[in-house]
Amino acid sequence: MTALIVIVVLAVLVIGWVIMTYNRLVALRTQVANGWAQIDVQLKRRYDLIPNLVESVKGYMGHEQDTLRQVIEARNKAASANAGAPATGATAAMIAAEGALSASLGKMFALAEAYPDLKANQSVQQLMEELSTTENKIGFARQFYNDSATNLNTAVQSFPGNLIAGKFGFQNAELWRVSEAERAAVETAPKVSLQR
Amino acid sequence: MVQAVSGPWGSPDTPAPASAPALADAPHEAITAARVNGTDFLAAQRDNRVKTWVLILVLINLGFFLGYVIGWALEAWGSDSNRFQLAAVSGLGLLGGALLAGIGVVSAGVTLAFGDKLVLSMNGAREVTPEAEPRLHNVVEEMAIAAGLPKPKVYIMESAALNAFATGLSPQKSAIAVTRGLLDTLNREQLQGVVAHEMGHVLNLDTRYMVAVGIMVGLIALVSDVVLRSMRFGSFRSSGSSRRDSKGGGGAAIIVLVIMLVFLILAPIAAQLVRFAVSRQREYLADATSVQLTRNPVGLIGALEVLGAGNTKGPEIGNRATQHLFIVNPLKNFGEKTAALFATHPSIAERIQRLQNLGKA
Repeated sequence: MTALIVIVVLAVLVIGWVIMTYNRLVALRTQVANGWAQIDVQLKRRYDLIPNLVESVKGYMGHEQDTLRQVIEARNKAASANAGAPATGATAAMIAAEGALSASLGKMFALAEAYPDLKANQSVQQLMEELSTTENKIGFARQFYNDSATNLNTAVQSFPGNLIAGKFGFQNAELWRVSEAERAAVETAPKVSLQR
Repeated sequence: MVQAVSGPWGSPDTPAPASAPALADAPHEAITAARVNGTDFLAAQRDNRVKTWVLILVLINLGFFLGYVIGWALEAWGSDSNRFQLAAVSGLGLLGGALLAGIGVVSAGVTLAFGDKLVLSMNGAREVTPEAEPRLHNVVEEMAIAAGLPKPKVYIMESAALNAFATGLSPQKSAIAVTRGLLDTLNREQLQGVVAHEMGHVLNLDTRYMVAVGIMVGLIALVSDVVLRSMRFGSFRSSGSSRRDSKGGGGAAIIVLVIMLVFLILAPIAAQLVRFAVSRQREYLADATSVQLTRNPVGLIGALEVLGAGNTKGPEIGNRATQHLFIVNPLKNFGEKTAALFATHPSIAERIQRLQNLGKA
C-alpha cells in the first residue's frame, strides 16, 4: 500500500514537471517568434523609408550620387532577400544583405553631416529621425530576439529539459549575428565628430 | 559592435557610443555578459510580485495593530480604571484594528485601480501624440521593443525641472512621463538612458509595488498624525485628566497611553524606513535594467551627471506621495551619506559609480 502511494506521488511529480517544462519551452518559443516578428516589421519599415529619404536628399548631396545609388541597391537587394526568406528565421543571404544595407546607410548618415543645408531642412530632418529610430528599433528588436533565442537554446540544450525538448521537437533558434559587411563598415566608417 | 546596436549612427546630435571612456577599455560583449542577463529580470519581477504582497500584508498588520492600540487606549481611558485589565482583549481595540485594516485594504484596492491616473494628474502630466513629440515617442518605442513590452503611453510635464517617472499597474498599461526641461536638455542618447530606466521600473513591476506601498505608508502616517494632534489639543486629555483626578490612580490607563504614544510615533517611521529601503534597491535595479536594454551605460551616466548638476525640483512636480517614483528625488537632495536611511533614492554619485562598474570585469 505504501509502495503504491509512493509510486503514485512520484508519477504525479514527474508528470507535473513534464507539463511545466513543456509550457516553459512553448513560452520561450513564442517569445522568439514574437521577437522575430518585431524585427520583420522594422525591416519592412526601413525598406519603405529609404526611397523617400534618398529622394529628398538627392538635391542636396550632389557629390554623393554613388553613395545614394549604393543605398538604393542595397535596399532592393535586402528587400528581395527578405521576400525570399522563410516566414521566421533569417537566411544567411538575408543577414548579409541587411548588414550591407545598414553599412551603406551609416555611410550616408555620416556624409550627410557635411551638408549644413541638409541639416537645416525640416522635412529631411524628420525623415532622418524616422530612419535613425528605425535603425535603432531594428537593433533593439534584434537584441531582444537574440536574448530570447539564447534563452530558448539554453532551455532546449540543458539537462534534463533537453529530454522534453527532444521528445516534442523543440529546436534551437538561429541567432542573428552581425554580418561581415556590417562589421567592416563600422570599422572603416568615416570618423565624424558628433560631440557637441 | 555586435551589441552596441543602440544606433551605431544615432541621430546627428548623439555622441558616438564608441567614444565613451567606459566602453573604450572593455570589449563590447563584456557589457552583455552574464552579470546583467535576461533571466535576472524575470526573477526580479517574481521577487517583486511576492514582495508586494508580503509588504502589503505587513503594512495591513501594522495598520491593524495601530488601530487596536488606539481603540485599546480609548477603552482604557473611558472605562473605570480600577476594573480595566491590561491583558484582556479589548473590544474597542479589535474594532479599531479591523476598521484601520479594512480602510487600508479598500484604499489599496482603489489605488491599484486608479493610482496611475491619480499620479499623472497630481504631477500635471499630459499625454502627447507622436506628431507633437516624435523624438520622445521614438525613444520610448525603441525601449519598449528592447524590453519586449507594449509601448507605454507618453506624458509630458510642463516644468523646467529635469525629472521623469513611470507609472502603471502592469507592463501592458503603463505610462512614462518626462518634464519639458529634461526633453530640451538631454541629447538623444541620454534621453534613451532615462527612458530605459523608467522602462526598467515598468519591466520590474516597481510601479505597481511602489503605488501599493505608498498608500499604506500614507495611511499609517495619517492616522498617527490625527491621533497625536487630537491628544495634544483635543478632548482626549481634558476628559482623561478630569477622570483621573476624580477617581485617583488609573495606572493601567497611563501605561496603555504610553504604549500608544510610542506606537503612534514609531509606526509611521517604521513604515517609511521599509518603503525607503525598498525604493533605493528598486532604483539600482532600474539603472541596471536600463543598461540591459540600451547596452550602453554612457547614456544613463551622462543623463545622471546632467541631472546631478541641474535643477531636478519644480513646484509643478512631485510631492511626498509620489517622490519615490521619479528618476531622482524631486523634493530633496541627498548627499553622500546624509540621512541615507530616509532617502528614497541612492545618491547620484553612487549610482554613477555602480553604472561605471558594469562595464568593467
